[in-house]
Amino acid sequence: MAEMMNKSNHLLELDDFRFFFSTKDGLVKAVDGVSYTLDAGETIGIVGESGSGKSVCAMSIMGLNPTPPGQVGGGDIRLNGQSLLSMSEKELRQIRGNRIAMIFQDPLSSLNPVYRVGKQVGEGLMIHQGASKKEALRRAVELLDMVGIPNPAKRARDYPHQFSGGMRQRAMIAMALACDPEVLIADEPTTALDVTIQAQILELMQKMQQERGTAIIMITHDLGVVADMADRILVMYAGKPVEYGTADQVFYRPLHPYTWGLMRSIPKRTLDDDQPLTPIKGNPPSLIDLPKGCAFSERCPYLRPQCRHGRLRMQQVDEGHYSACLQSFESSFLLNSPRHDSEAAGADALGAVANGGAAQGFAQRGGTDG
Amino acid sequence: MLQYIIRRILQFIPVFLGVTIILFTLRAVIPGDPVRMIAGERAIPETTYQMIVQNNHLDQPIYTQYVYYLSDLLHGDLGHSYQKNRSVLDIFAEKLPYSASLALCAILVEIIIGLLVGIISAIKKYSFIDLLLTLSTSILVSMPVFWLGMLLQTFFGVWLKGWTGGALSLPVSGAGGPISAYPPILHYILPAVTLASVSLAFTARIMRSQLLEVMNQDYIRTAFAKGLSKRAVIVKHALKNAMIPVITFIGIDFGTMLSSAILTESVFSWPGIGREIFLAIGQRDWPIVMGGVVLIVIIVMIINLIIDISYALFDPRIRYGKKKAE
Repeated sequence: MAEMMNKSNHLLELDDFRFFFSTKDGLVKAVDGVSYTLDAGETIGIVGESGSGKSVCAMSIMGLNPTPPGQVGGGDIRLNGQSLLSMSEKELRQIRGNRIAMIFQDPLSSLNPVYRVGKQVGEGLMIHQGASKKEALRRAVELLDMVGIPNPAKRARDYPHQFSGGMRQRAMIAMALACDPEVLIADEPTTALDVTIQAQILELMQKMQQERGTAIIMITHDLGVVADMADRILVMYAGKPVEYGTADQVFYRPLHPYTWGLMRSIPKRTLDDDQPLTPIKGNPPSLIDLPKGCAFSERCPYLRPQCRHGRLRMQQVDEGHYSACLQSFESSFLLNSPRHDSEAAGADALGAVANGGAAQGFAQRGGTDG
Repeated sequence: MLQYIIRRILQFIPVFLGVTIILFTLRAVIPGDPVRMIAGERAIPETTYQMIVQNNHLDQPIYTQYVYYLSDLLHGDLGHSYQKNRSVLDIFAEKLPYSASLALCAILVEIIIGLLVGIISAIKKYSFIDLLLTLSTSILVSMPVFWLGMLLQTFFGVWLKGWTGGALSLPVSGAGGPISAYPPILHYILPAVTLASVSLAFTARIMRSQLLEVMNQDYIRTAFAKGLSKRAVIVKHALKNAMIPVITFIGIDFGTMLSSAILTESVFSWPGIGREIFLAIGQRDWPIVMGGVVLIVIIVMIINLIIDISYALFDPRIRYGKKKAE
């Protein structure tokens, strides 16, 4: 990934970033060597199971992980070439909610129950643009209108508990977009929502992105969610990146057995007897006591002796397509990919991923959410 | 809302009946001839004895006496003191301003110091200062009120006076007045601190744990993500949420404070209702004891109602009375 590190004209750039937590049981390498770049108007999907480090990585961009017990273990995060890690808390505050904003998984618990929605949506404008209370509220009503909340002037005076789940997430999006941020981090934004609402929220985010050119980091455990939205996808496992490429590359020529596992555990639309779901066996490893060599080795059905040795790094297999699996270079190995399952079933699986994202996401969540 | 208040006031009735019945039973069970209490130690003629019995309905069965008492009560008559030959209501009316002003001071001390200590402990959690404050509140919680009062009297009234050659000291008795060498306000300090001590310690501990819990909530993360400073997050987003259980406690605790006022006022010879009740217990002056307890019950019930209503101000999720279901 050397050529990526040298470019500094990206909007956001993570460069071999590491973030560790010291616990009484030992050092937890929650994020271990993550690199990616993001440009204006782009969407990157970060995919992985619970505990894969995707959320910690996102919170690091905001500088919101508690330190201690957390500490940066190395690497850098740059916004327009400027290192976020070397900024003071005061400088970071001017970026949070202003240039980088974030929305979260559970919109109800993410809104303060004792303040009116309008006040919370407009609060960022008062902090970052010096808007008066009245001005902030007026803009908040506009924002609520923009994210499709009916009768926004009246609803701005409501409290969060008076909103439905989907409306709350719309309000969160309005709040995040208030200061027109360059980067929007969405941490599992649809996980807590009904299936029908999930698609609406994703659609809204795409619409906002087209209108404003916001770059989006979409964090999810659900391949279906990123299928429609992401330009590029980073798959993470046990704090480490395992596969990185364009959405097409990752979906149509997946290189890493973990990515294959994620795809195979998505319920397909035509589920029949000879196409059972194939869950990934076992559980994610403890981050304190990772297996030697490849972190996925314990659960990998294609394990070879050499997987247990040395430290595995991401290697470029195709132009812009990286994998941490040693065997990704062997064309015979890649025949195991779900792409090469029986012709019809394989196409169906990928078709399902690419088209009906949100619907399968709901079913898949039962399996992988923790 | 109005419906809710009316319903709550109706709930006062069974509580009130229960308390008065218990008191009345106690009076009947505890030995001692009421006539002797009223008449005093001197020998009295039989006719006078019978007169006292009849005037006080003492020849009637106890439930009839109770009905008489309730009827008097509803007419605003708390009875006549056995010892002082004055109406209980008059006595209380004279003492109430002292008790009320002392209780007010104590609550102010409790709220200001308790909240402040709790907030500082929470912000500086696990630090030395947090340890120190938590330790102090633990000691305060387990210290008997009257003993704390005496310690304070010894320290500020005797030792401090000795060390500074009389230049610095605090009054340890009474509520001030023409014969006191101190300005009246100083008389409040020690009794108010003593009266507030236990409640203050509990308030601080509840405030600390609530604030720590609220700081872990998702909406606090949202507030940080907006770019607010830690101070703004605590003041604007955390405190209002953390206050709700603290207010509940302060309200519920008010009754406890009124009962410790009986001890505090006695230790500091504070001329309030608490001390009056304390003295009356010793003299078996039942009308004052009963009147005092009845008064305390009424005050506690009213304060609790006010606290319940004030929740709605802090937590918009709480609305009383009928409202369309969400």
